[in-house]
Amino acid sequence: MSARRIAAIARRIAQQFRRDRRSLALLIVAPIAVLALLGYVIRDEKPINTRLGIVSLGGPADAPIQAALNAAATQAGVPVVDVGTDAASGRAAVQAGRADVVIVLPANLASGVATVQLITLGEAPADDGARLQIVAGLIERAATQGPRLTIEHETIYGSASADILDTFAPALIGFFGFFFVFVLTGISFLRERTGGTLERLLATPVRRSEIVVGYSAGFGFFATVQVALILLFALGSLSVPRIGPVGSFEVGLGIANAGSPLLAFVVIFLTAIGAVNLAIFLSTFARTELQILEFIPIVIVPQALLGGVFWSVDSLPDPVQAVARLLPMTHAIDGLRAVLLRGAGMSDGTLQIDIAFLAGVAILFVVLAGATIRREIA
Amino acid sequence: MGTGGPAGPATEPAGPAIETHGLRKVFGAIAAVDGIDISFPAGRIYGLLGPNGSGKTTLIRLMAGLAVATSGSVTVLGTRMPSRPLLARIGYMTQSDGLYSELSVWENLSFFAAMSGQPDVTAMAEILDVVELGDRRGRPILQLSGGMRRRLSLACALVHRPTVVFLDEPTVGVDPVLRYHLWDHFRRLATAGTTLVVSSHVMDEGDRCDELVLIRSGRVLAMGNGAEIRRQAGTADLESAFLKLSGVPTRGDSQ
Repeated sequence: MSARRIAAIARRIAQQFRRDRRSLALLIVAPIAVLALLGYVIRDEKPINTRLGIVSLGGPADAPIQAALNAAATQAGVPVVDVGTDAASGRAAVQAGRADVVIVLPANLASGVATVQLITLGEAPADDGARLQIVAGLIERAATQGPRLTIEHETIYGSASADILDTFAPALIGFFGFFFVFVLTGISFLRERTGGTLERLLATPVRRSEIVVGYSAGFGFFATVQVALILLFALGSLSVPRIGPVGSFEVGLGIANAGSPLLAFVVIFLTAIGAVNLAIFLSTFARTELQILEFIPIVIVPQALLGGVFWSVDSLPDPVQAVARLLPMTHAIDGLRAVLLRGAGMSDGTLQIDIAFLAGVAILFVVLAGATIRREIA
Repeated sequence: MGTGGPAGPATEPAGPAIETHGLRKVFGAIAAVDGIDISFPAGRIYGLLGPNGSGKTTLIRLMAGLAVATSGSVTVLGTRMPSRPLLARIGYMTQSDGLYSELSVWENLSFFAAMSGQPDVTAMAEILDVVELGDRRGRPILQLSGGMRRRLSLACALVHRPTVVFLDEPTVGVDPVLRYHLWDHFRRLATAGTTLVVSSHVMDEGDRCDELVLIRSGRVLAMGNGAEIRRQAGTADLESAFLKLSGVPTRGDSQ
């Protein structure tokens, strides 16, 4: 080993970094920025909002425990809202978003052993779980000297046994639909710019719009295949019987799916078209493939942190929430959750907003991408 | 967006195929092309000779409509450049190969033929034979030698049978035998009425052109055929003529 050669290699790397200030900046700034964002989001996460509704089926006999529950709620700072007098009106209140948890006190409450029903929306099991814990605490405090109560959980959407994967799946589908298409298009278009093929292409009578739409169609096709397979795997469940030494196993995650896979596909397709064109646009600002990869911490990571993959957007600090609402990923994930978990159709207000937003973003990036493909590259 | 077809060949303007007036292109403080006036009648081969960085590529890109002039004008086939529809009648071979390395020879060729609006299989097969790649159709670019890539790049520029052709250093890395064949083909194209502009920094290719433009620092140093330029400089070969006209003292002078 020659120390001189080793030193020469190390020095060359340092020289390359000096010429590529952006990589150097990213090496230092990106981890700190991401950590800062993460710290801000986690530390300033809003406590989950729980509006409690109490439905009593037992009439005047339930009055003491109802009063005790009310007192416990007030003491714990949990607002109690009026949700009517039967289980159906309680469900309606949860569905309409007027209450987060409804306690249904049974008619046989005085009998000593009774089952209390808790109704939640079921769209975000993590949020529901936190709320159930709060409400279970209230019930425990209210029923210290009363009958022994068991709790039964019911959800409007999905199932009470939904696990973290059920809410994660739509988020991850949205994330991958954006991420892979973005990286692949970025590198591919950068190679067009640096490899001389774009120059050659522009020496033909091709229109910029033809290039942008052609790219969207080409990568859109593969995004389509990718998303179709992901959806199939996430939503499907196929039992493969025992084959020889290989034991029987399950293919697919069998995620509970309430809505139309086609509508889910529309959401993800619009997201992918936006990603393709954002990548074409940003490839102007990269000179090497390395610099395309450097867009990941800038473009992808903030969207993953703020878009609702890990935390619901509602729980983010207010200023960050405003930023999150401008990110395509937020609307992709929100739309996918609406379709897959809530079974939302095109008449659903929030889904309409999500789809309109994603379509607008796609159009914006198509225009921006087209503007970067100029015959004069200089 | 309109139909955007190329101008019909029937109404060929009588004027020169390529004409520039006071053409200038400035990048920051550097004038890559610094006031060039040329007039090229159709059906001939024009050689742009000059050292690396003399402005040849910028001049070609201006003429091919890939760059916008800072001042002055370029007219090709009677149309002021840049003009997108006219590009259907222009062939441009870039200095870098500009090929898709995962695709095969045939796939690259048919892609660029489709882009220029004339995916004619006969023309594709013909031009592949001219560049002697007919037996390598299915070969991916990654497996081609540098010279083969250069030849395919040339084929891609000629596949749509353009009326005006710009070739930026087409014979770099091409062996002498094939180079001879290629110049033969250029001559046939010119005889058939095609106008060719070929840039090179290899002076010995100059004598194959009908007219030479010697360029240095974005300006025309001399114009004329090889014999005229040698006579003007009073030298025996183009290499020395170029050096003498550039003001560089040469051994050829003192001997």
